[in-house]
Amino acid sequence: MDFYKPSSLPDLFEIISRLEGRKYFLAGGSDINVQIKNKIITKEPVVYINHLDELRGVRDDGDQIVIGALTSYHDLISSPLLLKYIPFLSEALRYFASPPLQNMATIGGNLANGSPTADITPLLLVLNAELKMMSKSKLRIIPLNGFYTGYKQFDMKYNELIGAVIISKKATSGYRSYYRKVGSRRSLTIAKLSLAGLKKMSGEQIVEIRLAAGALNEYPRRLARIEDYLTSRIRSELDWQEIESLLSKEITPITDLRSDSEYRYQVCLNLIKQFVLD
Amino acid sequence: MKISFRINQKDVSLDLDPMRRLIDVIREDLGYTGTKESCGEGECGACTILLDGFPVTSCLLNAIHAQGKQIHTAEYLAKTEKGKLLIDCFDETNAVQCGFCFPGFFVSSYHYLLNDGEPNLEKIKYALSGNICRCTGYTKIFEAILLACDRIKKQV
Repeated sequence: MDFYKPSSLPDLFEIISRLEGRKYFLAGGSDINVQIKNKIITKEPVVYINHLDELRGVRDDGDQIVIGALTSYHDLISSPLLLKYIPFLSEALRYFASPPLQNMATIGGNLANGSPTADITPLLLVLNAELKMMSKSKLRIIPLNGFYTGYKQFDMKYNELIGAVIISKKATSGYRSYYRKVGSRRSLTIAKLSLAGLKKMSGEQIVEIRLAAGALNEYPRRLARIEDYLTSRIRSELDWQEIESLLSKEITPITDLRSDSEYRYQVCLNLIKQFVLD
Repeated sequence: MKISFRINQKDVSLDLDPMRRLIDVIREDLGYTGTKESCGEGECGACTILLDGFPVTSCLLNAIHAQGKQIHTAEYLAKTEKGKLLIDCFDETNAVQCGFCFPGFFVSSYHYLLNDGEPNLEKIKYALSGNICRCTGYTKIFEAILLACDRIKKQV
């Protein structure tokens, strides 16, 4: 396992532009070390980045909040900026992992690990968050929705790094927000499933709705078919059988040690109902 | 790779594989065996240490994470005034059974006592939510910390 410790951000981009094969970035360590222990990662090069402080911190940037990729969950939870503009995200983050892991795990690492059960991804998906992808000569801003293309597959070139996550300060203004994580206990639990949502209502009419589920697909994405069906409909006139059949096309819940597929499917439907009718 | 840090108020500089697990450096290279390993995956909290004052699970950190940092383990914290008071409280409420998880509980509790210290059960539960005990149930552990919070308040 070759190990690299770049001396600076430009040095990092030099190093990764030479490493064309698969490699891993080491930030907080909380995901990668489990994979090393379980021999999922054995010989690929590791590039340490946790000391590159310019990639850390929650920054106020006009209409946007820019979250450096190395920002820990602890720093996100205690960010006054996030609490002011996206309070539902701050509150949800408190129950991710556990306090010791919140002190280590980073937002960029969580997204780059690409786990379908990652807690934060459904929340960022409904917030229309964007990613700042950085490389030696290029910078591109891409929507998180669409970043994942398959199980642990994503739109990231070999010479790129997730530099920051960008959220609009107005991401939730005028919207009702929703987040539920279903697990065996409150802390330190990997979700059986989770649902994040934002909706804008005009009386009984659903003007706009965004839904994203965790742990129900091979990769995190929005529930586009359900969103399309619900948009501009009157709440009391919804055909829940239709929604149920759309949901069966939209999610592919698995049976594993945490739960079975029928339970996940049914609870997901219940949560959607709870949010839409609330 | 040369890695330098401060552990239990002592400066150390070691030639290490940067990917070596920090828990192994602490236990095997430096002999602080108070830090325990149970799950090895960050779930149980037995290996909790303070890194720059914050609780972290040392089984999921690498030697490189310690570079330039300050580490405190249960051994050192147990000798501080607040540490001794906390141990007395654990003693009085019979909070400890087999004891394997306890250095981790002790480090998390110490951090709570130092940084918050309010005798509030909900907050204490949250602060200890990264530590798992399979013998006692948690009630007596929480009682001990509540007791310690009260005692420290009375001292001030």
